[in-house]
Amino acid sequence: MTAEPERLHPTVMAHVAARDFEDGDVVNLGVGLPLECANALPAGREILLHTELGIVGFGPVIEDHTEADPFVLMVGNLPVTANPGMAFMSHDESFAMIRGGHLDVAVLGGLQVDREGNLANTQFEGKPAGNLGGAPDLAYGAKRTVILMRHTTNDGAPKIVERCTLPLTTPRCVDRIVTDVAVIDVEDGELLLREYAPGWTPDAVQAITEARLTVPGDVREISL
Amino acid sequence: MIDKIVASFDEAVADVPSGSTIHFGGFVSPWNNPSYLVAALARQGTDEITAVCTSMGRGPANARNQTPWLPDELVPTDFWDVGLLADLGRIKKGIASFAVGSRHHLVYPFEERLAAGEVELELIGQGSLAERIRAARAGIAAFYTPVGPGTAVAEGKEVRDFDGVPHVLETALHADFALVRAYQADRMGNLAFRGARTYNETMAGAATITIAEVDEIVELGALGPDQIHTPGVYVQRVVERPGTPTTSWEQSS
Repeated sequence: MTAEPERLHPTVMAHVAARDFEDGDVVNLGVGLPLECANALPAGREILLHTELGIVGFGPVIEDHTEADPFVLMVGNLPVTANPGMAFMSHDESFAMIRGGHLDVAVLGGLQVDREGNLANTQFEGKPAGNLGGAPDLAYGAKRTVILMRHTTNDGAPKIVERCTLPLTTPRCVDRIVTDVAVIDVEDGELLLREYAPGWTPDAVQAITEARLTVPGDVREISL
Repeated sequence: MIDKIVASFDEAVADVPSGSTIHFGGFVSPWNNPSYLVAALARQGTDEITAVCTSMGRGPANARNQTPWLPDELVPTDFWDVGLLADLGRIKKGIASFAVGSRHHLVYPFEERLAAGEVELELIGQGSLAERIRAARAGIAAFYTPVGPGTAVAEGKEVRDFDGVPHVLETALHADFALVRAYQADRMGNLAFRGARTYNETMAGAATITIAEVDEIVELGALGPDQIHTPGVYVQRVVERPGTPTTSWEQSS
């Protein structure tokens, strides 16, 4: 058996997810991998980042604590840059913004996504309950839902499946899946393999994917 | 004269009876959490609490990793969330969006009691949680939302189609007490927040008694009408945080 080709680094995955953000987009980033997108925003475009606790229009995560304002924290309690034009809200207003359809993109983590675009990302193994957080609202309310996750579990089990077996966060909500080996679009119950990581092939991606992938003629290698 | 200022946190929560439904404001950050109210409630001994909050809390043992980016000497010593009450066994039921630690090794006090069958949980996403609380403040009995159908959240609830889209009926979530954190207040109970206003603004007024823990009480008039986020009508009591942080929840404040 030949060694598996190298998988994409989380920073690269974040750039792949963030490269399609358009000028003026309002974007919410979920905890975990999606947060990396805050520091991978495409240059030259004004992206308004939104966070559940009630901020819209903040900038990248601040690494140097001496420059951090503890009152400007995104989810995960990470200090972020106070960009000009940033606004604070209450939680109910923040979710009115989400549910009212005012967000362009939500980038969320995933545990399972299936062929119909159903998303499961709230129930951790070995825990007595899950964490819904704001995921059901974001997955429903954002115009576009992008799942940023590793292609397989730590044990190598597929996360892109025929049918989700974990409790659903939101049914039929996923538009795109960006993983450490592929970019896949969900369209009308089909999973379209758009791109694969350097060194990979469509067959190699299919081999670690439970659901059947459709491979369009213009499939190509991921590039930033 | 209207004067909602209470001299101490102990006095502010002295009449909170066991069995109360309580809104806990904030979003699990030392800077937006009503820590001194939580600590006073822990000292007071209120038991059998139905806690409404975004997260069931990390508890004292995990407080440090809430702010991993801060060096040890700058980590606030006075951060107590609802996890403290779960740790002490004072919670009967949680109505929350986050019930457990987000990593395998991160175990919340509430989570331990849930696994042991000692507490009840109503898990609900933040949007419906926030809107149910807002509805209580606004006198709205219930509302239909498209978030929930097709998932466990909608089980046992009415689902009705609007324009072909299934919506679930969610009911208002009123509390006996709301414990919130604001930045400034005046004696009329007017509140100004700093930073994201989280559940603090959402919960103020959604309970019979709203108690605000504030960084600073200012003279009436110092907060201009454009600066007030929550009119004092929604707030019954305000208490100022101590100038010098305490280091133990057991210490009176």
